[in-house]
Amino acid sequence: MIHPLPTPVQYLGEDGSVRPGVTLPGTPDDWYALWHTMLLVREYDRKLVTLLRQGRTTFYAQAAGMEATQVGIGRALRPGHDWVWGYYRDQGIALTMGARLQDLAAQMLGSNSDPNRGRQMPHHYGSAQINFVSASSSIANQVPPATGTALAQKMLGTDEVTVCTFGDGATSEGDWHAGLNMAGVQQVPCVFVCENNQWAISTPLSRQTASDGIVAKAAGYGMPGVQVDGNDVLAVWAVVQEAVDRARRGGGPTLVEALTYRMGAHSNADADAEKTYRSREEVQHWQARDPLVRFERFLERQGHSISAAQRSEAVASLHRQIDEAIQEAENSGQPDWRSMFEDVYADMPVHLRRQYQQLRLEQEAGQS
Amino acid sequence: MTTTESRPAGTSGAGESTTLTLIQAITLGMQGEMRRDPRVVVFGEDVGARGGVFLATAGLQQEFGEERVFDTPLSEAAIVGAAVGMAVRGLRPIAEIQFADYMGPGFDQLVSQAAKLRYRSGGQFSCPMVVRTPSGGGVKGGHHHSQSPEAYYCHTPGLKVVMPSTPYDALGLLRAAVRGADPVIYFEPKRLYRAVKGEVPTEDYIVELGRAAVRQSGTDLSLIGYGGVMPDVLKAAQALGEQGVSVEVLDLRSLVPWDREAVMASVARTGRAVLVSEAPRIGSFMTEVASSIQEDVFDSLLAPVGLVAGFDTPYPYAQDRVYLPGAGRIVNAAVQTLNYG
Repeated sequence: MIHPLPTPVQYLGEDGSVRPGVTLPGTPDDWYALWHTMLLVREYDRKLVTLLRQGRTTFYAQAAGMEATQVGIGRALRPGHDWVWGYYRDQGIALTMGARLQDLAAQMLGSNSDPNRGRQMPHHYGSAQINFVSASSSIANQVPPATGTALAQKMLGTDEVTVCTFGDGATSEGDWHAGLNMAGVQQVPCVFVCENNQWAISTPLSRQTASDGIVAKAAGYGMPGVQVDGNDVLAVWAVVQEAVDRARRGGGPTLVEALTYRMGAHSNADADAEKTYRSREEVQHWQARDPLVRFERFLERQGHSISAAQRSEAVASLHRQIDEAIQEAENSGQPDWRSMFEDVYADMPVHLRRQYQQLRLEQEAGQS
Repeated sequence: MTTTESRPAGTSGAGESTTLTLIQAITLGMQGEMRRDPRVVVFGEDVGARGGVFLATAGLQQEFGEERVFDTPLSEAAIVGAAVGMAVRGLRPIAEIQFADYMGPGFDQLVSQAAKLRYRSGGQFSCPMVVRTPSGGGVKGGHHHSQSPEAYYCHTPGLKVVMPSTPYDALGLLRAAVRGADPVIYFEPKRLYRAVKGEVPTEDYIVELGRAAVRQSGTDLSLIGYGGVMPDVLKAAQALGEQGVSVEVLDLRSLVPWDREAVMASVARTGRAVLVSEAPRIGSFMTEVASSIQEDVFDSLLAPVGLVAGFDTPYPYAQDRVYLPGAGRIVNAAVQTLNYG
């Protein structure tokens, strides 16, 4: 089923033309950077699917098709200043905010160089350096904490903003409603962005909500709601930027719904998506609305076209960087078993020390 | 000066002291921490102008304003989840959940966010927060106002779990919880709120988490409990004492971490242990204590470890007092243990 787009904010037509009356954000240099990051997200996706198929990692949630949404969100934030409570598929936001490929790759492998110390399944990145809180797997439970972080920012008198992202499926969870409700009441500086990719694994949006889009729910929580074409990176950037700026000025929260599409599977668990729950027509419909292609058409129309040679050179360079990052992660080895007992608490309590000692004896016996 | 020495209530040191109820000690604890540290904030349902349904937060909003002491929407998920996010960003939240029985909607926030964040981020992020909540029976509350759900949280690595039974401990544990670096679930045995009084030093002190208190020394039997059952445990010890039995009474005070060393030292000395908790028996925290005793000091045991617990029924309204392990049931279990073999 193809969901009709109501009237989302759109800056670029599907042919890359600029909608009448809009003021484009950024400069040609910014646009090139956006394109380059979107390409990175796309190629990272490609590489990671390969990594998965090779059995070198065990889980990956594809983001192909959602680059414009994620890069647009990330572009609107101040890295290291603003905060993100995202979900596991948000590699595009992290990369836009300056996440190191080496860290992403190490987290994918749970290797020794993983900043998260191999504690979570693959694709649950987090980094204190860019205030990107380590992702949970439970759906929507980042929403009330995002409200809390934004409330703290307000109470501490900072001009920081929190962005909280989630998929369309998350909007069915109680936590989502609890978090938005409190955010509205407290008027916190938080921008909630639904990366509406139309599917929660195999459950379509029509089975997720009876409302006219996710954006319709904003009114229920006393905050503005904006629906944006999530395959239009400039529109996402502008819409999220406006919400972020308002939040920074003390204007309270906003709900943004970015209409986009996950071109691939949810993860390796449903790699047969097209055979089991999605039609070829639907996938083709959205492939024709590929955000990268659209943006390249835009650049061309603006006189900044990217030649085939430039593109393949950029792709090759990105592949090298990604391969090197993966290689570096693999070379760092596995985290030591001892670290399993650390970071449960700030200091290791006596019962964990006892269990650690027991395992130490077993390990030593096994090695001798 | 902060001392970490733990003393039984009513035996304060050389400094000045004051007599408080359990709930007064909790209020004083929050007030003191808010005065000491501007990062400490208090929120929950009805905690503001009303001062909480049990009045634990009475007067705090008046002193610290609506910014630092505020009513939230009626949503445990929002309350606990917001505490996580606030703690991550540098505040020291004290969240009140009106009754432990209502934690359900906030459960995922506790076990999936608060308990896991430090671990899953490799120590990059942490949640120094306290969730205070009244628990336990004895107030004619039916099963949605009387349960003892502490075992759910003890079973979750990453959470610390405490339950005081005296004003001294209530204050000292609360300070330690607020000043600590980890999420703490602070269960308040509501039937003791105004039923117990005790002397509390006016000087600053903390009760370190993970240390049991010896309420009474003895040589024949160790009676071990925590929280709301403690007055009955002490009553039982007195009754047994009148029959010539020398009873040692331990109050665990803190369940995660718990004072395994103190328990083992006591049981190794007495050779007999009866564990008391009002929580349903299956999977209760005391089954962990029983298992640990047989693991560590089996050779010292003169009798099987006795366990007096709540029943594996939902908490009944009409049989409120019968459900709870009163002094009589504790004495019976002790006598069985003493007469074993």
